[in-house]
Amino acid sequence: MTDPLALDPVLPERERSRLPFNEDRPHDDRYRAFEDHVLAGGKVEAGDWMPDEYRTSVLRFVEMHANSELMGVLPERDWILRAPTLRRKLALTAKIQDEVGHAQLLYRVAEDLGKPREAMIDDLLAGRTKFHNVFHYPTRTWADIGVIAWLVDAAAIVAQQALRDSSYAPYARTMKKICWEESVHIMHGRDVVVTLAEGTPEQRAMVQEALDRWWPPLMQMHGPRSEREKDRDLHWRIKAKTSEELRQEFLTIYVPRVLELGLSLPDPELHLDAAAGQWRYTEPDWAELRSVVTGHGPASEARIRFRRVQREESRWVRETILVAGGAAA
Amino acid sequence: MTARAERPPGIEPGLGPATRELLLALADDDFVLGFADSEWTGIAPHLEEDVAMSSMAQDELGHASAYYRLLADLVSDDPDRIAYDRPAEAFRHNRLVDHGRGDWARTMVRRWLYDTANAIRLEALAESTSRPLAELVVKVRREESYHLLHGEAWLDRLARHRGEPRRRLVEAIELVGPDAPSVLTALPSEAVLIDSGIQPVPGADLLARWSARIEPVLAGLGLSLPAASPAALDPDTARSGHGAAFNRLWTEFSSVRALDPEATW
Repeated sequence: MTDPLALDPVLPERERSRLPFNEDRPHDDRYRAFEDHVLAGGKVEAGDWMPDEYRTSVLRFVEMHANSELMGVLPERDWILRAPTLRRKLALTAKIQDEVGHAQLLYRVAEDLGKPREAMIDDLLAGRTKFHNVFHYPTRTWADIGVIAWLVDAAAIVAQQALRDSSYAPYARTMKKICWEESVHIMHGRDVVVTLAEGTPEQRAMVQEALDRWWPPLMQMHGPRSEREKDRDLHWRIKAKTSEELRQEFLTIYVPRVLELGLSLPDPELHLDAAAGQWRYTEPDWAELRSVVTGHGPASEARIRFRRVQREESRWVRETILVAGGAAA
Repeated sequence: MTARAERPPGIEPGLGPATRELLLALADDDFVLGFADSEWTGIAPHLEEDVAMSSMAQDELGHASAYYRLLADLVSDDPDRIAYDRPAEAFRHNRLVDHGRGDWARTMVRRWLYDTANAIRLEALAESTSRPLAELVVKVRREESYHLLHGEAWLDRLARHRGEPRRRLVEAIELVGPDAPSVLTALPSEAVLIDSGIQPVPGADLLARWSARIEPVLAGLGLSLPAASPAALDPDTARSGHGAAFNRLWTEFSSVRALDPEATW
């Protein structure tokens, strides 16, 4: 297999130094040259000069992504012990391991932009930075594990695939690796859901109940519609698609796949408006989204508290590594 | 998964119960240790260690699955049914892995003691007259060598840090050390296994080899292994009478399947 990180090789140092914004010029010239470069589809490397606004935007974006990977392991982690077969347990452990690995990669990308990992974790645990809404909800049954691995990861991958062409090259490269691994998770998740949907009436009811519960947060996950022109992350090509474009893409791929299993979706308004080529749906509860991502979701406090306790209990281990000359956690 | 009915080559009829006992011991050891290690997934002290710990937990579960598969072939059963649908008291893992996860020091000590003892046991079983077992053991040993390096590096690191790390390490050795020999203690039907060559070396010899290998390492760090507990050396108790920690684990890991043991999960 091709190593995804080997694609898109970084320009040699000498060529990068010839990029106009890397030359010693007045700030406004540099800013313009940088903007021209990025708007023309050019890539930015960690060592390039970049406007503070760009650096801050990329950092905020990547940091939230890293936080989401780190917090996203908790809902599933509770089920490693309860996975009902050897194969399921192996698949779930491997999936969560991937997510911890993603957090590690993303925190490194963010660290290169100037914020140490410890500071990012401090901010996360103090509620100063955010993580994705879906990780603020509790898991109640084994079916949740299937729905999360299939549909939450699918919604995430739709967004992440659009980030493989991010103007910030280290992030784009990381996304290529992550997308590949996420596609394996989706297969595991779908297999869990299919097994339950084809199982006993109780198993089928279990997976339908989980789907009903997860659907509203899934519809909120990409965020409210926003104007393309006003979105600075789009302007800088940090991301490529609007929230609504991502949601439409998710619905186009996954609604038929859910329905073909004989499962239903809990939104009577949900349908494809063929003439407009758009999915119509009941307006998601944006007040719930805002409340949840600011730490007021049903499991927000418990998850943050759990992480804080774990971090405190193992502080002595990290200090041991630090003294030995290793990296900080 | 469907159970296979044919008997694998190399396991003689009549050796069934003794071979079953050996495979169950090997499988349950890795299964229970894999569970305890996977409890660190997502919450290890350090992201890099988190990934490493998950890898090792998956290795152990993979090994347990392979042993359960061999056993399932022998008794015409299904590996998942053997792994999940037994009562807690039917598990035959050693007393060392009965100690719950504990802190990082206990996890590292438990791992290192288990890995060193397991390495001695597998070294001998690679010469087993049971071909399927010997072939599987060769594969398992390849993966285990990384675990040994990881455990030894942590033992060394914690031992050399005066203060809290060393104090926690010593406490962990005192707590779990007396139960460590139970990994190698003779199985109740050892005589049959030795006669047939399925287990080429008796437990008592394995224990002596293990001591000879780990004692110099511990002594080099100013440490020593406490005396074995009598229960750990007695074939009738080394792998039975699991305590409250295992009962909690068992209740948890069998909970989803218990909803409907006949269903496909």
